[in-house]
Amino acid sequence: MEEKPKPVLVIGGGIAGIQAALDLGDMGIEVHLVERKPAIGGRMAQLDKTFPTNDCSICILSPKLADCFRHPNITLHTLSEVKNSTGQKGDFLVKLRKYARFVKEDECINCGECAAKCPVKVSDEFDMGLRKREAIYPYYLQGVPAVMTIDRENCLYLTRDVCRICENFCSRNAIDFEQKDTDVTLHVGAIIVATGFDPFDPSGISQYGYKRYRNVITSLEYERLICASGPTGGHLTRPSDKNPVENIAFIQCVGSRDLKNNRYCSSVCCMHATKEAMLAYEHNTKVKSHIFYMDLRAAGKGFQKYVARGQREYNISYIRGRIAKITEDRNESPIVWYENTQSSKTEKMTVDLAVLATSLVPRKGVEELAKVLGVDLDEYNFFKTDALNPLDTTKPGIFVCGCCREPTDIPESVAQASGAAERAAETVMR
Amino acid sequence: MGEEIKTFKDLNKEVVERGICGKCGGCVSFCSAGELDALEMGKNEVPQYINEDNCLKCGICYLICPQTDTLNVELQEKFGWKPPIGDYERITSAQTMDKRIRQICTDGGVVTSLLLYLLERNLINGAIVSKKIGRFARKAIVARTPDELIEAAGSTFSGSLHLEELGGKYTTYTPVLSTVKSLEKGYLHDIAVVGTPCQINAIRKMQCLGVIPAHLIKYAIGLFCIENFSFDDAAREMLEKKLDVNLEKIVKLNIKDDFIISLTKGVTIHVPLEEVHEVARPACFTCKDFSNEYADISVGGLGSPDGYTTTLIRTKVGASVYDGALRDGYIQERIFKDAEESRIEKTKMTAKIVSFAGRKRIRAEKKLSKLAGGERLGGKA
Repeated sequence: MEEKPKPVLVIGGGIAGIQAALDLGDMGIEVHLVERKPAIGGRMAQLDKTFPTNDCSICILSPKLADCFRHPNITLHTLSEVKNSTGQKGDFLVKLRKYARFVKEDECINCGECAAKCPVKVSDEFDMGLRKREAIYPYYLQGVPAVMTIDRENCLYLTRDVCRICENFCSRNAIDFEQKDTDVTLHVGAIIVATGFDPFDPSGISQYGYKRYRNVITSLEYERLICASGPTGGHLTRPSDKNPVENIAFIQCVGSRDLKNNRYCSSVCCMHATKEAMLAYEHNTKVKSHIFYMDLRAAGKGFQKYVARGQREYNISYIRGRIAKITEDRNESPIVWYENTQSSKTEKMTVDLAVLATSLVPRKGVEELAKVLGVDLDEYNFFKTDALNPLDTTKPGIFVCGCCREPTDIPESVAQASGAAERAAETVMR
Repeated sequence: MGEEIKTFKDLNKEVVERGICGKCGGCVSFCSAGELDALEMGKNEVPQYINEDNCLKCGICYLICPQTDTLNVELQEKFGWKPPIGDYERITSAQTMDKRIRQICTDGGVVTSLLLYLLERNLINGAIVSKKIGRFARKAIVARTPDELIEAAGSTFSGSLHLEELGGKYTTYTPVLSTVKSLEKGYLHDIAVVGTPCQINAIRKMQCLGVIPAHLIKYAIGLFCIENFSFDDAAREMLEKKLDVNLEKIVKLNIKDDFIISLTKGVTIHVPLEEVHEVARPACFTCKDFSNEYADISVGGLGSPDGYTTTLIRTKVGASVYDGALRDGYIQERIFKDAEESRIEKTKMTAKIVSFAGRKRIRAEKKLSKLAGGERLGGKA
């Protein structure tokens, strides 16, 4: 009888990690999928639509979340982190820290009664701080597992020994303040790293006025604003006065291809700006969008056609020029100052909203993870790979896919995930 | 987990029954904002149980009461508190640039002008202010437009007494916190509040815990406060006799160096504060905060010539509001001959505030040590 292959550990529950886990699970290989946040879904869950098809992001992601949750070969470890790893290819011992949720996953039915009564209000991370949430909360509406989580930093009982109001309203007795953090040791044959990206914080580029001007926002904030499940219910309004937006400047390469910040191209921004401009037009046909770019990089399948369609059907104008600075007028409308390199003139334009296409940077904590795993990072802290083994890290048996490898769009991340799954399967099945 | 949580029962025993409840309404505003429906403002505006069975014994009302000490150390750290009057960035004397406000304001109209700036710049969508509805009756209202704001600041007396006054109850105190609880239902967020030190203290304690409804409050403008008054018909008669005035003729009350009563026909009487202490609210005698130490901006007439407001800019948030209002022409600063005069005048202003703050602090310490069970409250502070 053939020996059962060793399990595979997948670190990161975004679209790349999910795809890798599903492929491996379908091959009959046991998978442990580790996610630091309370629910899987990652950055893709925060997006409103995806390019170049304008599919609803959560609608195409949700079935995969559910598949992961109920797959007989996949074990989900949410609110968990990899703390230690020893061994080599085919034989790794990995220590996970599973943080207490303080909610019994088997009992909670996600009814929300607890959150309705929780008196604490804090900034919501999933909605990019554009909304407040309670200290007991669902990470996001469609999150998997579909249960509440208590935020230990802000819960008044966990920080100050008072309150416990939520317990009084939970009809399932699902709240459990006695839960403790636990350590779990897993024996796996291969590891796939899919930890994804963080958006670059543009407040350091002071000439763009991010955080100083209320109507200058980042693209990920824009995705939440225009999303029907977002903080405004999908109404695209100016943060300052809640008036409808009719004139938008999309500013490309914020922190990317920039000698002072990140020298690399973030690869997805030309396309997501095009998509975001299309969405604004779909919401309101009075919208005029201006995309300020250095080079328009539409190098994926169907991308050039998508850009042409934007120009033709969605009232988008592409202006080649790097924005020198942003100021604002008395109505808090951003004024963008730039050299139009097609006409060689310096120009300025007043808009209702300016959207900064911030670059994609590796997730916070990636250096620590690389050290724990014993793999190398490149000069930008992406996982190091080589040209002919693009999904192998510097340590045999550890593979990588998605945005922690380099900035990558969704179709490409999914393709890489399947590739990494195949590489891992090859390792554990021999 | 260790000792029993202190609940409203303890608050009632240690604060209400000892007669030092400031009636700020903080506990009730929290309880009703959470729709826990255990507390209400009862007769004499002190908090009481609606139904004790509804109380979940969460203990939050006890923590946020300005008369308990439990969160004070944390507040002091958060605001970089230092003696004698708390932290502040700078002190100025300023006045409004708005003609309408100038006609109706108590001192320099700075508070109304700052709020006007915040409203017109969309930095808030409402301000909780106290509206005069009678000589000794004020009501907290939410002003959502510049007109509502100015109307609240400038309501002149209708001539007849307000209903509450007819019942023989007179007070200069406005329970602003009970208004806060209704905000979210009105789809209001980003609110400015003007309040006395006890009210701002309760708001800051709520913000320390991160609890509703104080999360809506973006700006806290604090008034200097030596005491507020609350009295009945008997005391009124006594007061009228002692001061030899008919309270019906009062058009404006103010406290600067002393108690200033402006009567009809332009008559102004100055009364030493000691003379009116007997009608002050008992809770005020146990309060140690004169200069509103945890506000974003603290204001009052003390130390400035008539027509100007002494303004202590305390926090970064406060500085952004003040500087914005100054830049956009809502207020102007008092002009001094030269840097030397400015330095001397500002030192004088600061000294006056420090002296009043010291008086109030000593008074509170004396009173507290006299009270039965004189130790300060909140065991684990």
